[in-house]
Amino acid sequence: MNPFNVAVAVARKDLRSEWRTREMVPALAQFIILALLIANFGFQIDSHNAPSIAPGILWLALVFAGLVAFGRTFAAERDQASLEAMLLTPASPVAIFAGKAIAASLLLIVCEAVMLPALSLFFGTPLGADMVAAVLLATVGMAALGCLFAALVARVRARELLLPLLTLPLWIPFIIAGGQAVQSAMGLPGSYPEAIGLLIDFDILFVVLTSLAARFVLDE
Amino acid sequence: MNKYEKAAAGAVALMLVAGAAIFFFAPTDYLQGPVQRIFYLHVSSAIAAYGCFAVVLVGGIIYLRTESPVADRFARAGALVGLVFTTVTLVMGMLWAKPIWGTFWTWDARLTSTLVLWMIYAGYLLVRRLSDPGRQSARLAAVVGIFGFIDVPVVHFSVTWWRTQHPGPIIVNDALPPQMLATFLFTLACTLVLAAVLIGIRYRIETALDARLNVSEPAKVIAAKREAEPAR
Amino acid sequence: MSVIVANGLTHWFGNEHALDSVDLVVDTGEHVAVLGENGAGKTTLLRILATAMRPTSGRLEIAGLDAHRERRRLRHYLGYTGHALGLYPALSAAENLEFFCELQGTPRSRIDEVLEAVGLAATAKRRAAQLSRLILDEPDASLGSDAAELLARVMDGRTVVLATHDRALANRLCPRTLELRHGRSVGTATRLRVVK
Repeated sequence: MNPFNVAVAVARKDLRSEWRTREMVPALAQFIILALLIANFGFQIDSHNAPSIAPGILWLALVFAGLVAFGRTFAAERDQASLEAMLLTPASPVAIFAGKAIAASLLLIVCEAVMLPALSLFFGTPLGADMVAAVLLATVGMAALGCLFAALVARVRARELLLPLLTLPLWIPFIIAGGQAVQSAMGLPGSYPEAIGLLIDFDILFVVLTSLAARFVLDE
Repeated sequence: MNKYEKAAAGAVALMLVAGAAIFFFAPTDYLQGPVQRIFYLHVSSAIAAYGCFAVVLVGGIIYLRTESPVADRFARAGALVGLVFTTVTLVMGMLWAKPIWGTFWTWDARLTSTLVLWMIYAGYLLVRRLSDPGRQSARLAAVVGIFGFIDVPVVHFSVTWWRTQHPGPIIVNDALPPQMLATFLFTLACTLVLAAVLIGIRYRIETALDARLNVSEPAKVIAAKREAEPAR
Repeated sequence: MSVIVANGLTHWFGNEHALDSVDLVVDTGEHVAVLGENGAGKTTLLRILATAMRPTSGRLEIAGLDAHRERRRLRHYLGYTGHALGLYPALSAAENLEFFCELQGTPRSRIDEVLEAVGLAATAKRRAAQLSRLILDEPDASLGSDAAELLARVMDGRTVVLATHDRALANRLCPRTLELRHGRSVGTATRLRVVK
């Protein structure tokens, strides 16, 4: 059971569970629809200011959806027993962590696939491969950090308070770079290649760090 | 007086001397007026805060590698003292910003990263308080401390970069005449001494707290005893 | 040959003393039952033996290896069933078995063997297939009336530490027992001697 197979098996198992129970995707979808509705009524959006407001709405919705999605990967009580069962096999804790992070990111990506077109539809902003690339790159790093801290606060009381408090400071670089990338993709001033470069750098940095930290957080 | 009380008294005395230097030795700034004097303590506090965080980082790394309770206690002490200094930095920053910039807050690199520092410290201390005391608490907090320490410069860099994309009007004049520089360096030194003394005192408190909590040292090797074998 | 050597196992949950200097030696192939009321520390002891948890202090060696440092290696050979089932309700029994086989490194062919050997109680025995040392925490809790036969078949040929309330069951299956009261061991007994 090499680590890659373990990660794939864990991701498949999580996704299959979600497919059968359909707990998370409706909650996330609801979130996103609410964000779009509120944005529409909360802001005075017209075709002129849409490109400057839309990225903000996008990241706001993604951050909150991400907190829900990653928080849930490690939260449920039965997940604690199952997590322990997985850790008691010889499988590497990093591989288990990677599998769960991959599954959670895929769920978030499904929601992004709904949100980006909806944003474009409702606010008339352009939608292209460059926007998709920016969002996907940011999701990778945010998933690694979100899942690591979700696993961490799963063992702590008051996790609903602690998860945002710990995760948001770490997500700020992604929101800044990702936000800039999306803004540039929508035609506002700013360098898209630089923003993407930063996202890739942050991804590499934090994926490596979370992989190193995973075994301390998951296993005794 | 025991050595901790003497050290504390010494540190306070040094701070009073620094205060005197700030008000009587340093010249009044031509542009900003008397408000500028906040700068000496504000920046010293910020440096002390980040220095305390370095203690948290090193303590955390050593703890993850060796499970040394001493390293963990220093990390805890550093976090608490650091939170205090970060709070002081933020408050003084806001007091200075209002008359100078006309607003209490602006999202520039330094303020944003100081706020991030504050949030990470608060998170660190909450994790400690809310998790099972002992090894678990130390391990999880060490991870928080390490990520936090790396995050602060990353955030600082990100905001600075973002400002290059959207140039803003905030310019801080860093040129210092020699008298101001001397005052600043002296204040900085006194603040660092104060921070070190506070960490030392807090370390002692943490040691006492540990003893009360039955948190044990790493397992010692005991010679194995055989159970009497029942005849089967 | 001693395969499990535990010495002075002590565990604190905050200020609560769960285990107090428990010693235990188990030889290869032995079946040991751990008895005691709720709260006596049975689950804590078993979790420590299964490497699911580390004691606050004390030493544990399994197969001559330090249980904490070599826990990844030891988990190849240890099987543990605890109070919570740790299974995925959304997946079928077979899917659960396949998943854990993948993680444990057990070949899939063993799944059919296991299902046959234990009939419908596959859920409680998912990793029994390849494991030579079993730690069972109240396994009779989720089994039916033929629990004893089932357990005896699973336990045959393996080193087992089992926790239960049911003294009759323990006496039937395990020649050795270890009694815990308030985290302390109050004696070991051979079969047929009922310890209060």
